[in-house]
Amino acid sequence: MHVDYWQEIREDRLGRIGLYLILLLALLAALAPFLAPYPPEARVGAAFSPPSSRHWLGTNDVGQDIWSCLLYGARTSLVVGCGAGLLAGTISVLVGTSSALVGGFYDSLCMRVVDALLVIPPVLLAILVGAYFKPHLLTLVLLLAAFLWPGGARIIRAEALSLKEKKSVAAARTFGAGSLYIMARHIVPDLGPVWLAVMIQDARRAIFMEAGLSFLGVCDPTLHSWGRMMQQALEFTYLEVWKWWLLPPGLALSLTVAALSFLSFALERILNPRLRGEREDAGH
Amino acid sequence: MENNVDMKNKVVCKVARYNNVVNYIVTFFIILTLNFFLPRLMPGDPLQAIYGDDALIAMTPELKAELIQRFALDKPLGEQFVAYLRALFRGDLGYSYYYHAQVVSVVLGYLPWTLLLSGLALVLSTLTGFILGVEAGFRRGQGLDKLLLTTLMLVNGFPDFFVGILFLLLFSVVWGLFPLGGSLTPYASLKGFDLMLDILHHLALPLLTLVVVRCVNIFLLTRSSMVTTLGAGFILTARAKGCKDIRVRYHHAGRHSLLPVVTAAGLHLTHLITGTLFVEVVFSYPGLGSLLYNALMVRDYPVIQGVLLILTAAVLIINLMLDLLYLKVDPRINYAR
Repeated sequence: MHVDYWQEIREDRLGRIGLYLILLLALLAALAPFLAPYPPEARVGAAFSPPSSRHWLGTNDVGQDIWSCLLYGARTSLVVGCGAGLLAGTISVLVGTSSALVGGFYDSLCMRVVDALLVIPPVLLAILVGAYFKPHLLTLVLLLAAFLWPGGARIIRAEALSLKEKKSVAAARTFGAGSLYIMARHIVPDLGPVWLAVMIQDARRAIFMEAGLSFLGVCDPTLHSWGRMMQQALEFTYLEVWKWWLLPPGLALSLTVAALSFLSFALERILNPRLRGEREDAGH
Repeated sequence: MENNVDMKNKVVCKVARYNNVVNYIVTFFIILTLNFFLPRLMPGDPLQAIYGDDALIAMTPELKAELIQRFALDKPLGEQFVAYLRALFRGDLGYSYYYHAQVVSVVLGYLPWTLLLSGLALVLSTLTGFILGVEAGFRRGQGLDKLLLTTLMLVNGFPDFFVGILFLLLFSVVWGLFPLGGSLTPYASLKGFDLMLDILHHLALPLLTLVVVRCVNIFLLTRSSMVTTLGAGFILTARAKGCKDIRVRYHHAGRHSLLPVVTAAGLHLTHLITGTLFVEVVFSYPGLGSLLYNALMVRDYPVIQGVLLILTAAVLIINLMLDLLYLKVDPRINYAR
């Protein structure tokens, strides 16, 4: 599995688009305090004013600048996506590799828990728990990661099981390497691409779920979120405001999610040699 | 190595399927435990956490004493859990102080609309996804295939509720073709055929949203399965026999490509159910989604818990039934036993 996957992603058209979109978004989010003309919670203008040179996307029902809210919403989405993706991905790797290496009762126990969690949609669990905690940024990341890791754990475990059979691992064992050493030095480094794919997938679902939870009003109302903007704007569809209040956060969210989908599609094609043939066929 | 993973995955799948019933019980237990412990672990009065702020306003000392007794709140946690389970098995999901009714009856009042919407969406999205997948897979690399693949992958990136919002804005707000929300025209007292038309008129947009969003996965599965199937020997045989194109497409290749769709049906249904929740909120369609949304707004915890419990139970039962169905559809699984 020694593929230069950044190179491959850059060569894949969809993957390249996804990568650039994410980079653009990360730039906007990182520079939000400089790019946003006003603080997102400040009431800086008349309510429902249409787009103008002072307010690029107009203002909402309480006179907050929508363009600023949108920029800060990008921060939330990205932080939640990266945070939950990283955390869930790491838990997946820990659980997946350890159960592949240890096997036996521990393996079946882990997989039992994974299967049990895989049956229920994580959104439902997140709503249930979130309804009590009103999660803010950090709690939200923890909450989403707690329900997102099982899918990845299965994939990682399957991969680790096959990596375990490699001759290099057998050689390391004959030199007296313990399970922990093998896991850290032989299995986890080779898991790289699969791990990345799992994390991107988790990040995508986390961003989706954050927006969904905010849209339902589960999250802390002070969280700047695209989902929450859409929830608020949806009440005013009878006014013209949806053009600059409802559509931008929805489009931004869709673009973000689509970019991550493109990335993971590209990665999947790279990782799965059978699909690789198809790509070359389809390319002519 | 790829084969190796595949083989192992298959074995894992089979073993998992044996254990599925146990899994479902474990899952249900996890949900019950969450339902039980969450309100009781919150800081402050557990009664408030169980019933929400609304209840406290209506609460008289006698009622409070009765509730404490009913939930065994003065007893140790273990006995409380037993009391909770006992109430559940009697079909008692608690009492909503917002609706002044038993949670079960509130939920049952909203359930038919959700069943109607998600049932129709299931049939139509599967059918649409399958047909599009067969057609696209058959014409792999051609214009139609590329068009479908790009469009649907783009739609795939859109959250369910945003697609709903787009349709709502376009068809209802801008063009005024469909109602803005609800499931019936209020106070119209329509009968028979007119009533049915009215229901369909209100149903159209949420249904369209769900079908468009949910057919994507079926489409991708069928398409990729078609692509591999078309290379198989029996397709060549069918062609050599002189079968017509459409017969090869649906009777030979299509039928064979149905298997991954059936295998993924559990996931499809789960997505459909959560999708329905969000789409209902967008169109204020009076199903479980809207009920949940309102309950979240007013912090009506018994209703939140009840809706989520019923939804997870539905997901589990559906998966269980699908497992039984697989045994019929794929003889290999039966054989592996």
